[in-house]
Amino acid sequence: MTGAVLAAEWIKVHTIRVHRVLVGVAFAFPVLVAVLVAVFTPEPRVVFGNEVIDLISGTSVVSLLLLACLWAINLTAEYAHGTIRVTYAAVPSRWRVVAAKAAIGSLVTAAVVAVTFWVAWWVSTAVLSSRGSSASLDQVRDIWATFAALIALSVVVSWFALGLGLIIRNSPATVVVTLLWPLLIENLVSLAFTLAGVDEAQRWMPYQAAITAVVDDGGGDSLGRPWGPLYFAAVAAVLVGVGMVLENRRDA
Amino acid sequence: MIRVDGLTKRFGRSVAVDNLSFSAAPGRVTGFLGPNGSGKSTTMRCMIGLDRADAGQVTFDGSPYHDLSQPITHVGVLLDAGYVHPARRAVDHLRTVAVAGGVARSRVDDVLEMVGLVSVGRSRVRRYSLGMRQRLGLAAALLGDPAVVILDEPANGLDPEGIRWIRDMLRHLASHGRTVLVSSHQLGEISLMADDLVVIGRGRLIDECPVGEFIRRHTTTRVRVRSPHIGEIVRQVRARGADADIVGDLAFSDAAVITGLAIVDVGEIAAEFGAVLHELTEVTDSLEDAFLSVTGEAAEFRSGS
Repeated sequence: MTGAVLAAEWIKVHTIRVHRVLVGVAFAFPVLVAVLVAVFTPEPRVVFGNEVIDLISGTSVVSLLLLACLWAINLTAEYAHGTIRVTYAAVPSRWRVVAAKAAIGSLVTAAVVAVTFWVAWWVSTAVLSSRGSSASLDQVRDIWATFAALIALSVVVSWFALGLGLIIRNSPATVVVTLLWPLLIENLVSLAFTLAGVDEAQRWMPYQAAITAVVDDGGGDSLGRPWGPLYFAAVAAVLVGVGMVLENRRDA
Repeated sequence: MIRVDGLTKRFGRSVAVDNLSFSAAPGRVTGFLGPNGSGKSTTMRCMIGLDRADAGQVTFDGSPYHDLSQPITHVGVLLDAGYVHPARRAVDHLRTVAVAGGVARSRVDDVLEMVGLVSVGRSRVRRYSLGMRQRLGLAAALLGDPAVVILDEPANGLDPEGIRWIRDMLRHLASHGRTVLVSSHQLGEISLMADDLVVIGRGRLIDECPVGEFIRRHTTTRVRVRSPHIGEIVRQVRARGADADIVGDLAFSDAAVITGLAIVDVGEIAAEFGAVLHELTEVTDSLEDAFLSVTGEAAEFRSGS
């Protein structure tokens, strides 16, 4: 029966056109940027593998935010259109429905990010190679740790959006908070703490801690790997937990 | 069999459903009536656990909804035709329900045919009229071939042919032993399709009985008489303690309406003194009259005129 709920959630995801468009954009953006940089960089011979990976990792974070919006919309549209009532009528256990949404969100996001990462790498290094660059994976320190941190971040971001959606239950508001949290809210909170005399507040901002871990192995002020993604996962799990408790108490 | 026992639902200080108890029997269509805001939809949502009831219990053949294995194969529900994503194709909407509910996907084509949407099943729901969405909602309710069917205003937005179709469909379901609970504001339709009635007002039970019994209980049956000897008939009727009102001009009218006597009694009175009768008719009020008479005080909202 759990497999049936997963299958139903998967049908919900792939049968809405805007979902497919968001996945397409999330895939295309890092690939396109990597290819454009490879085509137009003035000195391809001095571009090395670590720089290409840094570029792809950075643009993948934008893709992650798009995918986070997808999961926020996927859940909150159920409240907007009342389909959550149809869902809970078919599957009265709300835990199972939310768990299935989390699982589908994690798997799809991880798969899209993984495919995007390697396609962007393969295409951009192929272009660079044709222009005389010798960029290769050998030039990248901790490539697998970087990749694992990116995949971990992608999974946790899908939980994060799910948790916000469960709590807020409104599509525009959830999407705005999902986007502004890493882009604005954490910076404002960090600034407020800094002005109050609290040092190192930035490293404890959950989104930043995980994002930094993708491109930073723990040096400097960041929590690094694996603590950055783990810390963000804990925050996201709390969000989902609070959302689930509210979901069970509220009327559908 | 549906049993609702002591169901109570509050929204803040407002009591939407107040210690409501009733039952709906298999093989019968039970109409669920009440004025706007009386708690019908809230009751239906509480019945399947979508709204959390503050007190009371609802069972389907003895089991609460959340204890049913694959509940849509036991209870089919149509709460609102709008509960569908407009960007999704109808067939995909039904597939999500079927798969989640443990029903074979092949049932999707069956129910689409049943509700007459086969030709448009692959269209996106945003292109559907309200009537088509009602049919789609009914298709989703029937996916699991359930023994109990709960429908909230299923005739909303349907044209006359659609209304007749849904009436026949519900009668057909009941004739096969299913329990059908249907709310509607179209009292004429309810009087044609329902066997029993549950009437609520301000969240409380007002009455629960067969349709005919409800009309008898809450209306007055009258007898209309036309005769060249109407004056004598009226005198005899009044002498027996019943009321009789001449219709129209007292001097020239040959008709009267009598209350407080059965039609056979009026006929026998006329026969006693050899009065010729041109008309002897029992006048019965409609379900609408009965409904308005019992819910007048319980109406949450009413016009100022």
